[in-house]
Amino acid sequence: MDGQLLSETFVELADTMVVGFDVIDFLHMLTDRSVQLLDASAAGLLLADPRGELRVVAASSERARLLELFQIQSDQGPCLDCFRSGKPVVVADLSTETRRWPHFAPAAQEAGFAAVQALPMRLREQTIGALNLFRAAPGIFDPADMRVGQALADVATISLLQERSLRRSETLNEQLQAALNSRVTIEQAKGKLAERLQLDMDQAFAVLRRYARTRNLRLSDLARAFVDGSETFPDLVEPGGKGLDR
Amino acid sequence: MSPGPHARPVAGAGRGDMPANRAAGIWGLVAVQAGIRGALVSAVDVCTASLAAVAVSGAALTAAAKAGSGHVMCATDALSEQLAELELTLGEGPGPDAAAAGGPVLASDLAAPAVAARWPGFGPAAQGAGAAGIFAFPLQIGAIRVGVLEMYRRQAGPLTNDQLGDALVFADTAAVLLLEGQDRAAGATGPLAGPGGQPPYLARHRAEIDQATGMLTEQLGVDIEDAFVRLRAYAYAEGRRLADVARDIVGRRLRLESELDLPAGGGK
Repeated sequence: MDGQLLSETFVELADTMVVGFDVIDFLHMLTDRSVQLLDASAAGLLLADPRGELRVVAASSERARLLELFQIQSDQGPCLDCFRSGKPVVVADLSTETRRWPHFAPAAQEAGFAAVQALPMRLREQTIGALNLFRAAPGIFDPADMRVGQALADVATISLLQERSLRRSETLNEQLQAALNSRVTIEQAKGKLAERLQLDMDQAFAVLRRYARTRNLRLSDLARAFVDGSETFPDLVEPGGKGLDR
Repeated sequence: MSPGPHARPVAGAGRGDMPANRAAGIWGLVAVQAGIRGALVSAVDVCTASLAAVAVSGAALTAAAKAGSGHVMCATDALSEQLAELELTLGEGPGPDAAAAGGPVLASDLAAPAVAARWPGFGPAAQGAGAAGIFAFPLQIGAIRVGVLEMYRRQAGPLTNDQLGDALVFADTAAVLLLEGQDRAAGATGPLAGPGGQPPYLARHRAEIDQATGMLTEQLGVDIEDAFVRLRAYAYAEGRRLADVARDIVGRRLRLESELDLPAGGGK
């Protein structure tokens, strides 16, 4: 494990206190770091919507096949089991779980994954979601690895509490809903940009994220302004232009 | 902090864990109110239906305006109307904050010190008028913002997880009703028209629906609100599930062109 990267990841948590903090970009960064630091080929963060669904808010890849694995899990799968129990769910070999998850297990295997973990995002007694890790090769997970994974899940939970000084249990619910709605906005922006530039959704997301970072914009703010037309972004939508390179 | 309503995970036994059932149940409550009025379902029915389900004393809907301030569309009682008008006048309060933040504002105790700091004008005025707690929900689907649903209680206390879940579905329902109401005002028919109308969010949330909505702003050359309404209208006209149509659009197997024989939009 890259100790330097691990230290940096936790130090970055301090940045969540700063005004203008971009929680959506932070959660994406955490899923990227999970893949870099842990024994995982793909990662996603899912949050529980009080309407009754588990929904992905950030993933290490925006490829449709991976996102579909998260969408399936609002009905069945390791994340749902983890969310309901508040405990980690770890599977070393998905081929043994077809009866347990008749829809999810084959889909995950078809997508190239053989092992999976779901680690709970918890705040005191409340489980608000899960960090979902996938690995291409079957086999048990290293316990030290899993401890770091749980710590990353905890960091994700803490980052949602931007106004900790208020110490209100309602703050978490407010932030959670705002994050879920930001995700919807980002999906709308992906669609609009993908259509404008004839890209796939994964590429469109990469363009949006790069653009936001280089111009110091919150990803969700960029997405909203782009979709509702309140601002134009000429070098974002210029085909083959600066928005794509860089 | 002692374990309270948040002590157990949200999902579990009961109505709370099946989104389709919850949405259908809430649509039923809303339809009952319309039946009482002897009229087609409209946004006001969301307000009246929410009172018992969320255990609040009053509810009001404020519609956003593209430029300038919004206006109060409906209110179940004088106090909820007064609170909404106060926010518009003072330019502060849970409603404006919810609209700006793109997320709910759950001010369950207006007597808390943080409230006076946050809303120095509105806070004391709201309390003086008789409100003890206010819950504001932006009516939104991503970048689509149509207004705010605001509820108040005469006693302080947070929403339970079930009440919060229901309130969010009421807000979703109001958002779609307002969007389609704009369309229907011009004489269009659509998925919600008629007594057997299709409730807004029966299906689970699908990213393809949001992506397809974004794509349609380009394909049809319309704003995001119109794109959403047209997507729903197309699915309804074709007798197909919204998620399936969206998947075809995202998969580039289906394009919607502006000259398709869709019901004419209300115009924006």
